[in-house]
Amino acid sequence: MGTTAGIEVAGVRRAFGTVLAVDHIDLQARPGEVTALIGPNGAGKTTLLLMLATLLAPDAGSIRIGGIDPVAAPREVRATIGWMPDGFGTWDALTVREVLETVAAAYLMAPGPARARAAELLELVHLGDLADRPARVLSRGQKQRLGLARALVHHPSILLLDEPASGLDPRSRIELRDILRGLAASGATLLVSSHILTELQEIADRAVIVAGGCSVAVQDLSSESGSGDGSGHQVSQWRITSLDPPRLMAALAHHGVSTQPLSDAVDVEVAGDIAASELLAQLVGDGIPITAFAPSHGALETAYLAATEDRQ
Amino acid sequence: MSLQGVRTIAVLELRQRLRTSRWPVVIGIWFLIIGAVAGLTWWAVNNQPGDRGTTLYDVVLFFVLGLGMLVVPSLTATSINGDREHGVLATLQTTLLTPADIVIGKLVAAWVISLAFLLAASPFLVWAWIAGGVDAGRMLLAVAVLVFVLAVVCALGLMFSSLTARTISSAVLTYLTVAALTFGTVIAFLLSIPIMSTQASVRVKVLPDTWFQQHQPANPDGNANIEPTAADCVYVNRTQSIMHTERTWWLLALNPFVVVADAAPSRKPLPYLGFEPLQMISDGTRTARMGTTSDSFNECWPELSVASLSQQPNGGGDNGAPNQLQRQRLNGVPAVWPYGFVFLGLVGAGSSLLAVRRLRTPIRRLPRGTRIA
Repeated sequence: MGTTAGIEVAGVRRAFGTVLAVDHIDLQARPGEVTALIGPNGAGKTTLLLMLATLLAPDAGSIRIGGIDPVAAPREVRATIGWMPDGFGTWDALTVREVLETVAAAYLMAPGPARARAAELLELVHLGDLADRPARVLSRGQKQRLGLARALVHHPSILLLDEPASGLDPRSRIELRDILRGLAASGATLLVSSHILTELQEIADRAVIVAGGCSVAVQDLSSESGSGDGSGHQVSQWRITSLDPPRLMAALAHHGVSTQPLSDAVDVEVAGDIAASELLAQLVGDGIPITAFAPSHGALETAYLAATEDRQ
Repeated sequence: MSLQGVRTIAVLELRQRLRTSRWPVVIGIWFLIIGAVAGLTWWAVNNQPGDRGTTLYDVVLFFVLGLGMLVVPSLTATSINGDREHGVLATLQTTLLTPADIVIGKLVAAWVISLAFLLAASPFLVWAWIAGGVDAGRMLLAVAVLVFVLAVVCALGLMFSSLTARTISSAVLTYLTVAALTFGTVIAFLLSIPIMSTQASVRVKVLPDTWFQQHQPANPDGNANIEPTAADCVYVNRTQSIMHTERTWWLLALNPFVVVADAAPSRKPLPYLGFEPLQMISDGTRTARMGTTSDSFNECWPELSVASLSQQPNGGGDNGAPNQLQRQRLNGVPAVWPYGFVFLGLVGAGSSLLAVRRLRTPIRRLPRGTRIA
């Protein structure tokens, strides 16, 4: 598949009657990466995911999933994608294990491999001890984990996850992050929609911000985890807290660092990790009482707020 | 469509139903009702030993069909839009299952449950068979047609559940359609009779009005007991309204009850001694198909009443000649049920196809009020 692997969305538009849910979205999700889809409620995220999941045809624009058009060849696309919808139901009367075996059968897997795969996935999402309980007794977070397992049944190379972390406890969130990073590391393409920004920042390589049915910005997040590959162009944000803010501000001004004062701290923009460590050394050398010096997770937040500001 | 796909859905549906609903209770109640009807029928025809088997067969089959038409729509009428409401349809649509897999799978599951109802009623049909008078082959044909009719009703429910967003609408529409098929066809047929009637000049065999004047006893006190006989009747030409039920009988043939009743009537000689609803329905429809015959213009009551007098109520003697004649005539009318059978087959197939079309994704035009996931 080469260059056509992953998800490519160009100029997609979809209206429901007179309501324009998706106006113009361009998006690219590459294999081996987690792409975040973020935006306010009603921005068109779920509608876009429905189109990617082969359920809804776009009115205009083109979609390629693994190089295949989901409108022309939905079945081929379905074999490669795993879709985890937001707020889905389960067959209440079935046990957790039966739910997964049923989904496996729906992907035309033979009973033997289906059973093995179900057991494997129950292990992965830590639902093994609930395997023979009815799906209806699961808590919201457990249902969410079952939903993820369901999306993974047929070893999809492309994953579409709509709000996968909602309802998860902190431990499950960390586990979800590890599962998703593991899938990306094995070459899968992941598109994750959410509005929990800090969390996406930990998981995603890139974020596509949508608002009002349009894709408005693409934010690269991988630079923050910082190999800092030498190029001085990767500007990152750091948050500094001091016992003596006025002196800190004066020192920063002296070193010519662009600042963004907050109520109890200050955000600074520096070119990469090396520049940041140098700045810290200088500030300590100046005798500024620094209590915290950490990468600011506000980058995505800032980009998000900037992108959606005029749309409120 | 694949076998595994259909089986996956059918197994899923059956598992869900068996675990969430109180089917044993419902089937138990069903068994008791049919049992009560069968027992009462048996008791009611106590003094006509020759007819017990046929009457029992007729009544049981009639009730199984009637109650089945009430129960079966509930099996499918909320199936597809109900799944949408619970958010479990879209997750199946994104698998490798085709829309046909989903529709046929649901149909098979509903049909299997309706077979369970039939199975619960089968002891009473066996009882009727043991009591005698009904041919086993006929009974099997009737049951096969009954099973087919129930499958068509399942398909109708499934279609409506794919057409409407709300489960209540599809349930109402399904019951209305079943009612239209069972009552609507009869009402339409009855209304068609006056519309189709024509005025025509016909030759009628009557006892002349003047006969009693001519045969007045000369002496009013005398007991000259003179009765008219068939020989006294004459043919007259008269203009009268003639029904043309032979033009509209097919309205009745669309009725599921007619299809089942006509597939395997017990073929008893007229007139009926007990309550044999299927037999009556079948004969009534065939009479309609026959239309107005020369027989209809025989108003020579002495001839008719002599014949009816010779009919012994206990079936001891020979049946009257005109009744035999009427039975022979009715048996001579081609069966009505194949028409309805084909019609219902088309309805079932059309409904299933429409449901399949409605489950196709990606959806281009989303109907108002419908949600996808």
